Amino acid sequence: MERNDILARVQEVFRDELELDDLVLTDETTADDVEEWDSLSHVQLVVALEKAFNIKFSSREILSWDNVGDLIDCISRKI
Amino acid sequence: MVVNSLAFLWFFVVVLAVYYICQPKRQAQNLFLLACSYWFYAQIDIKMAGLLAVLTLVFWFIGRSIEQAIGQQHERRASRLTTLSVVVGIGALFYFKYLNFFIDSFVAAANVVGLHLSWTGSHIVVPVGLSFFTFKLMSYTLDIYHGKTVHERNLGNFANYIAFFPTILSGPIDRPKPFLRQIANARLFNPDNLTAGFRRVLWGMFLKMCIADRLDIYVSAVWNNYDHHSALSIGLASLLYPLQMYADFSGYSEMAIGVALMLGFKVAENFKRPFFTINIANYWSRWHITLTSWLTDYVFMPLNIKLRDWGVNGTIAAIMLNMTFIGMWHGADWTFFLFGVYHGLWYIPLMVSGQFFKKTKVKLNKVGLPTLPFALRMVGNYLVVTFGLMLFHADNISMFWDILCHLPEAWDGSLFLDMATMVNAAICTVALVWSDVQEEWFPNSKLWLPRWAERWRMELLMATEIVCILLFGVFDNNQFIYFQF
Repeated sequence: MERNDILARVQEVFRDELELDDLVLTDETTADDVEEWDSLSHVQLVVALEKAFNIKFSSREILSWDNVGDLIDCISRKI
Repeated sequence: MVVNSLAFLWFFVVVLAVYYICQPKRQAQNLFLLACSYWFYAQIDIKMAGLLAVLTLVFWFIGRSIEQAIGQQHERRASRLTTLSVVVGIGALFYFKYLNFFIDSFVAAANVVGLHLSWTGSHIVVPVGLSFFTFKLMSYTLDIYHGKTVHERNLGNFANYIAFFPTILSGPIDRPKPFLRQIANARLFNPDNLTAGFRRVLWGMFLKMCIADRLDIYVSAVWNNYDHHSALSIGLASLLYPLQMYADFSGYSEMAIGVALMLGFKVAENFKRPFFTINIANYWSRWHITLTSWLTDYVFMPLNIKLRDWGVNGTIAAIMLNMTFIGMWHGADWTFFLFGVYHGLWYIPLMVSGQFFKKTKVKLNKVGLPTLPFALRMVGNYLVVTFGLMLFHADNISMFWDILCHLPEAWDGSLFLDMATMVNAAICTVALVWSDVQEEWFPNSKLWLPRWAERWRMELLMATEIVCILLFGVFDNNQFIYFQF
């Protein structure tokens, strides 16, 4: 799966979970840029991403992401 | 040394002068700052300054070893070292703060089941600021492990982060990365920082001396003699206590932030108008923010992630544990345990109804203030917080229970009012509410001033604050409530 395809799929998951139809993600997007993306929705997003990509993240991986780019790097290593 | 005392004023004037004489030599500034921080701490607790130094050294070495282990891809070693640092941090907290409590509770439980134990805890002095600096120490190693920060090679810089005198006694609990980034550069003399910092110190003094200490006169008079007071008086004292706590602790935070700013450091904010909130989750995101966010990042998040396959039940379990930790962080007593559980329970309806996961925006009317339903929800939330703080305020569970039992008996008594105290406190509280309302809902508006006075806005505000402190302040060097934690 190409990096851009992963980004598109991640964006889709984010839009569904956060109910933000116009949300546009880039590698640099952080939780500070999206008001609805907080510590609670973060875990919901993780669960949805694990389902969408059929993968499992470790706690350390989840806690070390600083932005969407880190998240996509992590997914691309697992699929 | 109390921050709003003359002794601190002289200390700080000398510190400030020498500190800026040292500029632009960063190393000299940092070394001097470290010496001042330890001198300040030793003035309060000379024996424990050694403990502070030892813990700082231990965590610095563990931080270095974690980074080395990660660099050599020894994941398990890094994980074990991080666990070791948490064990040391929690161990220090446990020994000094909780050991006697657990011994006493164990002995009491054993006696209930017929085992007559005669163990007694030894006399342990809790180091001042322990709960604050151990959290800073642990966030350092945890952040290195999670890749949020790098090991600080300069031990002096790290020691400055832990012992930074404006925040060591009662926070805010700053995170390592922003502080260490600032200390890596020299702090140059900046009149704007000095003015803004001084302004915040003055506002903090106003909150502490004019509101918190003034309200304390009434609240303590009723609370400490509750059996002689009517239900009305106890109710009023209980309703005023959250306001007293807010003025006391946010007053301290304002002073700490202001003093740090005068030294060229921006430290984290600790309060954001916590009573303008419509539910308990909202309240905790604005009250003692640096403690709540610390526990969110290092306790709630890891737990919630671990339990994520349990769905909403996992989140409930994580929040209950998190809130219990928040309660127990304040002290070793069952009142604090129940205080945490009580707050945790209020999260459950929010989670079950789904409100917890969605941000409800407060609806505003044409004037720009909350509509009646939202204003009523804020009042309701204040009452929820008030009841929790009655538990927090009680010396022990039996006192709390006695007060609750006393209320129906004292229902028809008259309201005790100390008019002078009440009028003074009310005038100053109006100023606080005015300021909070403006910041919350009218952030761009300014207090109207005639044109001639406009250029002196800042000076006039500061002069007004000084006059208010002199007129309405309580000058008896009352300790801050949060010093005991």
